[in-house]
Amino acid sequence: MSIPDSVPTTPDPVDLPDSGTARLHLQGISKRYGGVRAIKKADITVRPGTVHAIVGENGAGKSTLIKIISGAESADTGEIFFEGAPITLSSAIDAMAFGIQTVYQEPQLFAELTVSENIFIGREITSGTRVDWLAQNAKVIELLTMLGLPASYATKTVGSLSIAQQQQVSIAKALAGNAKILILDEPSAILTDSEIDVLFNIVRRLTKTGVSVIYISHRLDELFKLCQEVTVMRDGETLGTWPIQDLSIRRVIELMVGEALVEARTERTFPEGDPRLALEGLTLEGQFHDVNVSVRPGEVVGLYGLVGSGVAEIAEAVYGMRRPTGGRILLDGTVVEPRSPRAAQSLGIGMLPADRKAQGMFSFQPIAFNISIGHLSLLSKARTWIDRRQESIVARQMISRLSIKTPSERQPVAAMSGGNAQKVVLARETVERPPVLILAEPTHGVDVGAKDEIHRIVGELAHEGTAVLVVTSDVAEAIRICDRLYVIRAGTTTVEFGPDAKQADVLAAASGDDSDLSAHVREVS
Amino acid sequence: MTMTPHKAHVANLPRAEEPSLVSRVVKAVLTQRIVLLAALLVIVLIWMSALGMGGYLTGSYDPDYLAGSLIDAVPMCMLALAELVVIVSGRGGIDLSIGAIVSLTGMIFGFAYGRWGWTFWLSVLLAVVVGGLLGAINGALVAYMRFPALIATLASYYAFKSLALVITNSIPISDANVTKLYGITRSIEIPVIGSQLPNVPIGVFTFMVPSVVVIWLVLARTTYGRRLFAIGTNDVAAEWTGLNVRSTRFVAYVIAGVIAGLASVYITGQFASARPDAGTSGNGLALPAITIAVLGGVAITGGIGRVAGVVLATLLVTWLDAGILLAFTGNDGTQFQLLALGLVLIFAALLNGLTQRRYGGSR
Amino acid sequence: MTTTNATTIPPATPSSGRTRGGVARGLLPPAVTGQEWVLIGVLAILWVVLSLTTPAFASSGSIQPLLSAVAPIALMGVGMTMIIITGGIDISVAGVLMVTGVTSAKMLVDHDASLLVAVLVSVALGGLLGLVNGLLIAYGRVHAIIITFGTANLFQFVGRQIFASKTVNGIPSTLDVFGRGEAGRTLGVPHSFVLMAVVVAIAWWYLRHVQHGRHLFAIGGDPVAARLAGVNVERRVLMTYVLTGLLVGMAAVFIVASGTSTLDQSIGSGRELAVIAAVVIGGTSITGGRGSVLGTVFGALLVQTVASGVTQLGWPSELSDLFVGVAIAIAVGADLIRKWARERA
Repeated sequence: MSIPDSVPTTPDPVDLPDSGTARLHLQGISKRYGGVRAIKKADITVRPGTVHAIVGENGAGKSTLIKIISGAESADTGEIFFEGAPITLSSAIDAMAFGIQTVYQEPQLFAELTVSENIFIGREITSGTRVDWLAQNAKVIELLTMLGLPASYATKTVGSLSIAQQQQVSIAKALAGNAKILILDEPSAILTDSEIDVLFNIVRRLTKTGVSVIYISHRLDELFKLCQEVTVMRDGETLGTWPIQDLSIRRVIELMVGEALVEARTERTFPEGDPRLALEGLTLEGQFHDVNVSVRPGEVVGLYGLVGSGVAEIAEAVYGMRRPTGGRILLDGTVVEPRSPRAAQSLGIGMLPADRKAQGMFSFQPIAFNISIGHLSLLSKARTWIDRRQESIVARQMISRLSIKTPSERQPVAAMSGGNAQKVVLARETVERPPVLILAEPTHGVDVGAKDEIHRIVGELAHEGTAVLVVTSDVAEAIRICDRLYVIRAGTTTVEFGPDAKQADVLAAASGDDSDLSAHVREVS
Repeated sequence: MTMTPHKAHVANLPRAEEPSLVSRVVKAVLTQRIVLLAALLVIVLIWMSALGMGGYLTGSYDPDYLAGSLIDAVPMCMLALAELVVIVSGRGGIDLSIGAIVSLTGMIFGFAYGRWGWTFWLSVLLAVVVGGLLGAINGALVAYMRFPALIATLASYYAFKSLALVITNSIPISDANVTKLYGITRSIEIPVIGSQLPNVPIGVFTFMVPSVVVIWLVLARTTYGRRLFAIGTNDVAAEWTGLNVRSTRFVAYVIAGVIAGLASVYITGQFASARPDAGTSGNGLALPAITIAVLGGVAITGGIGRVAGVVLATLLVTWLDAGILLAFTGNDGTQFQLLALGLVLIFAALLNGLTQRRYGGSR
Repeated sequence: MTTTNATTIPPATPSSGRTRGGVARGLLPPAVTGQEWVLIGVLAILWVVLSLTTPAFASSGSIQPLLSAVAPIALMGVGMTMIIITGGIDISVAGVLMVTGVTSAKMLVDHDASLLVAVLVSVALGGLLGLVNGLLIAYGRVHAIIITFGTANLFQFVGRQIFASKTVNGIPSTLDVFGRGEAGRTLGVPHSFVLMAVVVAIAWWYLRHVQHGRHLFAIGGDPVAARLAGVNVERRVLMTYVLTGLLVGMAAVFIVASGTSTLDQSIGSGRELAVIAAVVIGGTSITGGRGSVLGTVFGALLVQTVASGVTQLGWPSELSDLFVGVAIAIAVGADLIRKWARERA
């Protein structure tokens, strides 16, 4: 099946049930952050006892919508009805009072307290001032039993549980607050397959008790196992809600992608020759296995995978942040074993980290500092004294080359927009033109204009001979800038796409639906 | 190679990044402390001088008096610089043991110079090396074994303090050589221009100014200084950037130890004897040194701190103390010094919190 | 699949008073943690070794002063433990000790105060100074270490003002019931130690079984999440500092009572670090979220045992601080190693 140029004939969205019978109904919601409209117009109706999926590409507005429902952000316009009555949600505590509970990816639990205490923190069952452990534990055990979890959890400290178990505890905690709507924000991203099955069983049990579950996931195959209704978002708008029977993975993808994606790519010659960077059967137990990737000089190669697929860990292993347990990394045909970012850099591997604020920025330091800190031996005399003149020159060069908008190189990066700050971090990684450059989520949290410019810069870098490996969860970006694209699923390279990859194919491959891949797709052996 | 197509003119750019108010506020936050301290210093000087001229002080608050009072500023400034270095290194960096290092290195210096007949310079070198080694113990615990700095240096505070007392049976070393060292605290006339100026304690030139200059050079002009501020600002990003986070942090504690070793020589001269409790008696020297560093604008969370701020804070505290001493008869002055220090510190901290919240909230 | 068909969480089975105590024991992590068992073991070994090598150690003339010396440190340690569990710290303990100590001594000397009045004034004054700390820290949102550095100076100023640059002489024997002498003991046990033990027991219960006590751990673990869960973070933090102030006020009474009839200005010096040392050796994490008052008592006992042992062995008394330093390093180092092992596993 080929990809049509317009949205295919998908059945019309289901009629919205009368808002009186809905558990939650949002109408005409919009939200703007500074100059960016995160949500233009969103309508959604969640019925009792259903699992309702919200899907959309990165930046489609899912997370903003979730923040509005959970009270973390308030909408600029629009109305929210809870069981038919209009409500305002100005804080997470407001939302909780209505029984709207959110389980975030990172469990917000107290490691030193027991599961039972975590579930009842802030609303303990007490007799007098004393916590009634018996009553509390009895309730917790019933709750755990209802979720199909072992009762022995109750008295364990959360710190002694696995991440998956902690997530189950988070769900139990949300339920103990008499949840009527449970929001699960990409819960499967951090779980293994068997853990996901446990999660699904829990969710199914829950809906039988009348709880509505709002389920966010990038793994579209999951929707068909779990959800009854799907709301699709694109570019800050909700396209509509469909019953799951009316959809297929491919249809969901087509709705998410829309018609916007057919971008003209001009013909180009692809670099030939031996790869500069090659990963052969690279394995890190528990994270990824048998990863085969090659990048030639002048080539932009993408690694696309969903959160939790192991794609981020692969990049970190190449950059020396993680120690692979098997396989080889070859640089110009020579086996290398970078043991630290320092070692990786001296081998000529640079990396733009995925989490700009936590891993990339020295926020209250000036731009020049942020750039020169990666090149202290280059920008110093006798490796001891900072060559401040040279530092300024380099900083100014990078500012103009990357079109960083700032009055001076002495400005701290803390005050800059996401796009500009990202360019500063990118500038740091490109000063010495490393032969291999890994870019992790290069345009995450970056506005459209800066995104275009960063893509232009990546193209220029490749043009000048750098082997660029782009690790991204933004499929549009992957297709746009990559000459070749590897899809990572379940911790390994599954398929490889050429330059004319279609977004829907890539998404399908990453979500586990590779039944009808287009002809140009090669299986990676 | 083909470039990814992109629109030449992007229509809806959010907020142009001209020199915004925000970045100016940020700059102000970073520089404000020095401006604030300078202003406070001027106010204190004028106010005290006015009180002096009005006859409200028991002595004259004149340039000679101010210059003389710098005797005490020398060790305080040096130790506050030591705290500056470790606090800037981040991850809760602090050195509670700095006073104990002074005690212990002072005793070892006293042995070398007073008892073992070492030359002065060799003895100073020994004090500095021992100080560096003691600092290295802290550094190893904090940087390599990942102890919280507060705990590591609390432990070494007890250990060093105890060793200083035990190695001499708590008896100070006051041999002739050591006693004569009192000379290093005398005041001298500054050459060439000095006839117009008050005489300044020689320690200012032999100990304080060199320490200030060296630390300033290290922090502001060397690659090490850059690495130090980088790990203090964000040690995860520093790791990603390829810096050696642990060795950089380790060296910060060694530097603090070296400064303390040097300061112990001066303090030995001040007391005219090597005292085993020189840095630990009463409140010790660590707490005032940390107080001055914080007053000087060093952020306890790391990555922010300037030598100029610490020097100004030292001068402010010294000259405020000197004035207070004259404003009260008897011992009352020293008590009001505590009051003044406490109030100024809390005021500065609350102000810091306020500006930081503003600065954090503006993003 | 069969599931509970309830629409809400099923109601709890009513707890029965009969079995409460017995069953509740299994519902929480063990009452005595690994680190505390290690401390108990170390203490036991020390006591056995010291008793065998120095006959004087096991005598009541040696044990009683040890218990008297432990009492004020452990008492202040109870408050400090709670503060550190919330992720804070209090450097101003020495200053509070000075103010409350000199005030109660002066009350006795100048106003001929009764025991009750002296204790009440000392404790109330301590609570007031703790309130100052607590307000600044909880609502000023400045790191506790900086605020208490500042208030340490302020309190010392106040203390010295009250001292008026002199020692307080001729303190009457009003406080002897908490002193080192015969009047301060019942059946050979110092009253101060008994009172401390009672406070520790209450605090232990509070931290283990009372809602607000459990919240302290949540605050130290993750203050933002704790606030989100409905914990009144500011009030709880404030209360820990007030409580510490109250306890320091009581400790001051012990210290005045067990001293001579003269009180000098060194009453507080170095005690803030001694208290923190006891807390840290006892296994309370300086980064917050974990700790126990029981451990603090063992920590204080260990420190005093070492001090006493060093004296009994005829070693220079200054040597005991070296062992304290080493004990801190080992206690925390062992904890760090356990953490590494857990992360590796």
